[in-house]
Amino acid sequence: MSDLAIPTLQTEAQRERSAIGSMRLLQTACILVIALVIVSPLFMLLIASLKDDRFQILADMGSFRAFWVSNPTLSNFAEVSNLSGELAFGRYLLNSLFILGCTVGAGLIVNSMAGFVLAWGTLRGRALVLSLVIALYVIPQESIIMPLVIMVSRAGMTDTFAVQIVPWVASPLYIFLFYQFFAQLPKELLEAAEMDGASVFRTYRSIFLPLSLPALATVSILMGIETWNQYLWPILVTQTDYARPITVGIATFFGQDSIYWDRAMAASVLMMIPILALYLAFQRWFVSSFIGSAVKG
Amino acid sequence: MGNRLLSFLMASVALGGFAEAKTVIHVMHQGDPGWVSTYGEVAKRFEEANPDVDIELIYAPHDAYNEKFSAAVMSKQLPDVMELDAPFLANYVWSGYLQPIKPLIDQDIIDDMTESNVAQGTYPIDNELYAVGLTDSSVVLYGNRKYLEAIGARIPKGVDDAWTREEFEGYLEMLSKLEGVKWPIDTFRGYGIKTEWITYAYGPILQSAGCDLIERKSWKSVGTLDSDACVDALTMMQKWVKNGWVVPQSSGTNQFFAEGHPAALALGGHWFYAEAAASMKDDIIVMPLPKFGPKGASPNGTWIWGITTASEHPEIAGKFVSFMLKDKALRDYAKEDSAYPGLKSFAADSPLYANGGPMAIAFEQASKTAIARPPHPAYPIITSAFMGAVDEIFNGGDVKTALTAAAEKIDEDIEENDGYPPFDEQQ
Repeated sequence: MSDLAIPTLQTEAQRERSAIGSMRLLQTACILVIALVIVSPLFMLLIASLKDDRFQILADMGSFRAFWVSNPTLSNFAEVSNLSGELAFGRYLLNSLFILGCTVGAGLIVNSMAGFVLAWGTLRGRALVLSLVIALYVIPQESIIMPLVIMVSRAGMTDTFAVQIVPWVASPLYIFLFYQFFAQLPKELLEAAEMDGASVFRTYRSIFLPLSLPALATVSILMGIETWNQYLWPILVTQTDYARPITVGIATFFGQDSIYWDRAMAASVLMMIPILALYLAFQRWFVSSFIGSAVKG
Repeated sequence: MGNRLLSFLMASVALGGFAEAKTVIHVMHQGDPGWVSTYGEVAKRFEEANPDVDIELIYAPHDAYNEKFSAAVMSKQLPDVMELDAPFLANYVWSGYLQPIKPLIDQDIIDDMTESNVAQGTYPIDNELYAVGLTDSSVVLYGNRKYLEAIGARIPKGVDDAWTREEFEGYLEMLSKLEGVKWPIDTFRGYGIKTEWITYAYGPILQSAGCDLIERKSWKSVGTLDSDACVDALTMMQKWVKNGWVVPQSSGTNQFFAEGHPAALALGGHWFYAEAAASMKDDIIVMPLPKFGPKGASPNGTWIWGITTASEHPEIAGKFVSFMLKDKALRDYAKEDSAYPGLKSFAADSPLYANGGPMAIAFEQASKTAIARPPHPAYPIITSAFMGAVDEIFNGGDVKTALTAAAEKIDEDIEENDGYPPFDEQQ
């Protein structure tokens, strides 16, 4: 009886293993398909940036020829790397990097300080301020953009770097993110710091901030993407090449009658690199922050 | 020492005074990289010829130009010179943003303008010219020679010889059955509904069929846009879409010349010639827009130059516009870009559009069938309402209902603005 049972069990185990194997194969295939869907536009972008005929790029779109280049050239990249002249795309890229660095840098300081005060500060009416911060978050940027244009114009800030940095440093979303993170840290940390005679700022800088790497990474990435992709605002407040960012520069390629796909693709590849680097640099903490939020939530 | 100090101070004041005396002319424009560079070079040449003037170019991307313009209006930072899309001229003049340009521009340029160019820059209330351009535009019917020969289609020789509606629809049906043809026609739905394309290119189909977007004397849309002729014209277009004869919006704007040439015909702008001819060479045939009813109709109008009422130096602004329109390098670039001539001298110098040139038919349309889009301050609403209706119709909506809703929306806007006086007195 048992002699008969063993082969049956083995067969079932084999079947189970085979089913698990098939499932894994299916999962891998699904992941590959999803990866292909995500990667193929980026690959097409890269391939198109290596072609020097904009009409050919257009003709190739929609066929497999869009994923192949027979005579690759870097001429498009050379054309979008110039630092001076009428269309100084190299300069636009540097402008964007400068705006990104300043906005994210200042944003991390301002928003984290505000979040800390709202979480642990002694400010009266903190709950009300927090409610107002959350309420502000639901107001879309587009609805306040014109009054903001008038304000910065009256302040003489048009066509400067400051006008692209200052209005976006403080953000209700990021203040709330920091607030949530700080509020979850144990109160004992604050009490211990108070007993040691640390000032509020010292407690924030030396104890709470070093513990908030996941929040800092999350805000850096989200704020970085938001700043990097700003389009309408810089169009409204920049006039010349001086402070023009790359997003506005790339729009030049999409003209009234024709699209310069060759250079648009090369500029898009260049534009992707910094934000990809930012994501890769903070990816570990970014993911852990999201996992942490999910577990705690 | 005292004298030297005095001389130094006087020199400083003189230099300072000189620097302040430089007149700055702000010029707001759009355009692709080629045009942006060309405008920059023209500005430099003008500054060299006029050392007391600084030209400050303000660029705004084509797709966000209206937003940039609105921001300039609200922040009271209107430029001296601005590029504007011709059908929006009436709205800008009515709003008080533009001033008559004729006294500010060289007379030889005014005399050089084509009839269509004058029409696109004229405000119908006072019949004054408010804007001028080097170029104009049109839409033609492009055909794939091999496919048309395969079905034995008649090739029109000129605008007077255009296909009739029956011929056109007959050819569409024949092409739909021809091997190799995936779609008989590309009407460039791929441009989407956020550009001017639908009103610009499909409006003439309605006009040719005997109706319009709005009645141009009473300035009422109900009874015109939803008239039987318009309902019939758009039902015809809806049928093309339903039959699968039209390149869908998701397939982009390259199906006429993409690999395998899936589209046999293309109802495309003059600029499309450069894209298509680059890969199709001699296989491309340029034909006039078909006659869908009692008369032929084609669109016109493009981006033209106006001088704003905010300009403190309109004479210098006018001098710059004249200089720019005569600039040889600018004209050479425009020619290279297949620009459609708006000045007679430029047309004579453009082999593409000259008699016997591959796009001669497109230029012939300017004098024979071109109809400007409604020159009315409500144009922004007219175009957005019409585009919304066409989108609904192409997605299977009821033609009459969609057109009536659009017409009512237009009339409501006009009523809300008290008829945009003095347009209400034109009736």
